[in-house]
Amino acid sequence: MIELVDLTKKFKQMYAVKNLNMFIERGEIVGLLGPNGAGKSTAISMLSSLVEPTSGDVRFENNSILKKPAPFRKVVGMVPQNIALYTDLTAEENLLFFGRIYRLHGKELERKVDEVLEQIGLTDRRKDVVKKFSGGMQRRLNIGVAMLHDPEVLIMDEPTVGIDPQSRNYILETVKRLNEDRNMTVLYTSHYMEEVEFLCDRIYIMDKGNLIASGTKDEIKQILSSEKTISITMERLNDEFVEVLKQNPQVNRVTTGEKEVTILVPRDANVFSEIIRLAESTGIELNSVDNKTPTLEDVFLHLTGRALRD
Amino acid sequence: MIGILLAKFKGFIRNPWTFVIFTGMSMLMAFIFGGTGVDKAYVPIHGDEKIKDSFIGQELKELEGFQFSWMTEEEIKEKIESGKAEIGVVLGDNDFSIIVGVDSFNADLVQQIISGIYQEKLEREQILLAAGQNSSDEKNILNEMDLAMEQPIFEIKSASFRGEGAFVYDNSLHRVFGFSLFFVIYTIAYNVLPILIEKRQGIWDRMILSPLKKSEMYVANLLYSFITGYFQVLVIFLMFRYVVGVDFHGRFFETLILLIPYVFSVVALAMLISSIVKNVQQFNAALPILAVSMAMIGGAYWPIEIVESKFLLMLSKINPLTYGMEVLHGVAVYGYPMEELLFPISILILMGVVMMGIGIHLMERRHV
Ligand SMILES: Nc1ncnc2c1ncn2[C@@H]1O[C@H](COP(=O)(O)OP(=O)(O)O)[C@@H](O)[C@H]1O
Ligand SMILES: [Mg+2]
Repeated sequence: MIELVDLTKKFKQMYAVKNLNMFIERGEIVGLLGPNGAGKSTAISMLSSLVEPTSGDVRFENNSILKKPAPFRKVVGMVPQNIALYTDLTAEENLLFFGRIYRLHGKELERKVDEVLEQIGLTDRRKDVVKKFSGGMQRRLNIGVAMLHDPEVLIMDEPTVGIDPQSRNYILETVKRLNEDRNMTVLYTSHYMEEVEFLCDRIYIMDKGNLIASGTKDEIKQILSSEKTISITMERLNDEFVEVLKQNPQVNRVTTGEKEVTILVPRDANVFSEIIRLAESTGIELNSVDNKTPTLEDVFLHLTGRALRD
Repeated sequence: MIGILLAKFKGFIRNPWTFVIFTGMSMLMAFIFGGTGVDKAYVPIHGDEKIKDSFIGQELKELEGFQFSWMTEEEIKEKIESGKAEIGVVLGDNDFSIIVGVDSFNADLVQQIISGIYQEKLEREQILLAAGQNSSDEKNILNEMDLAMEQPIFEIKSASFRGEGAFVYDNSLHRVFGFSLFFVIYTIAYNVLPILIEKRQGIWDRMILSPLKKSEMYVANLLYSFITGYFQVLVIFLMFRYVVGVDFHGRFFETLILLIPYVFSVVALAMLISSIVKNVQQFNAALPILAVSMAMIGGAYWPIEIVESKFLLMLSKINPLTYGMEVLHGVAVYGYPMEELLFPISILILMGVVMMGIGIHLMERRHV
């Protein structure tokens, strides 16, 4: 349905997005994952015909949207990263306004506004001025506005940043429902691993303008097939223990928490006895040593050497 | 487009404070500095009864811009000392003196006018002298001379008011115009600024993806700024015309029409500033500096005629406010016909079109 071909955007000498290749099929929820500054928003802006790429192409149903954006714009709903609403107006007035610019009128407009208010759970707050809303409610309305014209494709740019867990769950459930009930195609951008793991069929991971991994959840986790993650918890961590772990030839990577150390080791390595021996020699009292199933977080760590959220 | 305007007006009704504040400020300032509708400068004057009834006294009575009040020299000094008058005049048979309390431009003006009258008196006396001693002819000669003066053989072309020389100064009208044109810059600018804010927030992106046209988006926003700006000046003028009672010299309606080019050019200027600044903070910093300097060199606070620096005068030539004041003064104070005002009006429109063009172009090019 949508295809990005070698999409590139340069700001001065800096590549915000470099040779990005992606596709989205009808009815999918696709995740675009990456830390802040990875180039997600820039990619999305090019995809939705708001920013002209430096090079490359965006194709919708096999036609370039760069030359003819109209057919694509008609079916796309965009949820921007910022709250793009008139905060002096009420929720209902915002919906009426954005509905009107999509040429909705009269009864049809009213029906649509009611329906969207229901979907985003703001029916009883419709007469309240947006300024007075909580962050979560503003986010929900921000999404609602993008759904007024029944888009076939919903593009969401970090729709859950900075909100309470309850609103966040509500939004995730709403997106899932839209996809299941209406076969809505969704591109979901986030730097939260859990969200993408929960929602998405396929995932693209970006870092510093580059695509560093793509595929289904399982495919991506296969990237870690040659390694496994072991989590070690203890009463009190000491530097000496971390140091001997790092120097151990079998250990590929060490990350530390408060009372926890996570290490990556080759899949076939048997390191349990080795860990216990090292703990004893450095005076560490172990609580547990677990074999963890890898998460996307681990994949990102593996690929970039950095945690996703920092 | 109607939708955008409606949303804007709704926002206005809910949050009209910028408008109210700047409208109130204009009125307050014009009121404080303009006096309460007294548009003739008050000048105490002293002279013998003989002089009061003579040619000089008659001429002074007919002067438009000043209200001469006859009293003794002592009283004049008292008026000036107590600050009730800026200047006073003491008339002699063949010369006069001016007592200056506050060194205002009115002093120069009065000096010029009265010496003109004395000059004329002298000429008349000399003509009589030359005409001979027969006193029965005296009246006839003078009558004929006055007639001749009123119907000059050569049509004297009226000098453009852009030139030097004496100027009529109507204080209360000047203040109303000056402060209106000054404060409306703020109201307009703060209504154009949302273009930048909404672009940054992503509201514009939403509109771009919708069937709305770009041109509609700009027209709606700029039209709204124009309407609020115009409405503000309208309210102020109505207030001063009908409540305070300032004399627009019978050209109130024309004043309202000829306001349009100025308001348009300020909308364009605001568009240009919004497109150049990096962010809202910069806009907030730049606006007062620009508006105040425009007012100072454009003649909003004092008549442009008293600005002497060549450099400032040059700057005033690219200042919409200069032309705005010129047009309003031209129409209401000097009573010029349309043709005389075509020049400043065209400049305002031209500046407006150029600034609007550049502003929109830059706004379109920026990556927010
Ligand atoms: N208009 C712009 N001008 C210059 N640099 C930009 C612009 N927009 C984004 N960038 C840069 O491009 C990179 C990617 O930004 P962005 O797409 O917003 O990342 P993300 O959405 O993943 O956080 C960042 O380094 C950002 O500073
Ligand atoms: Mg972003």
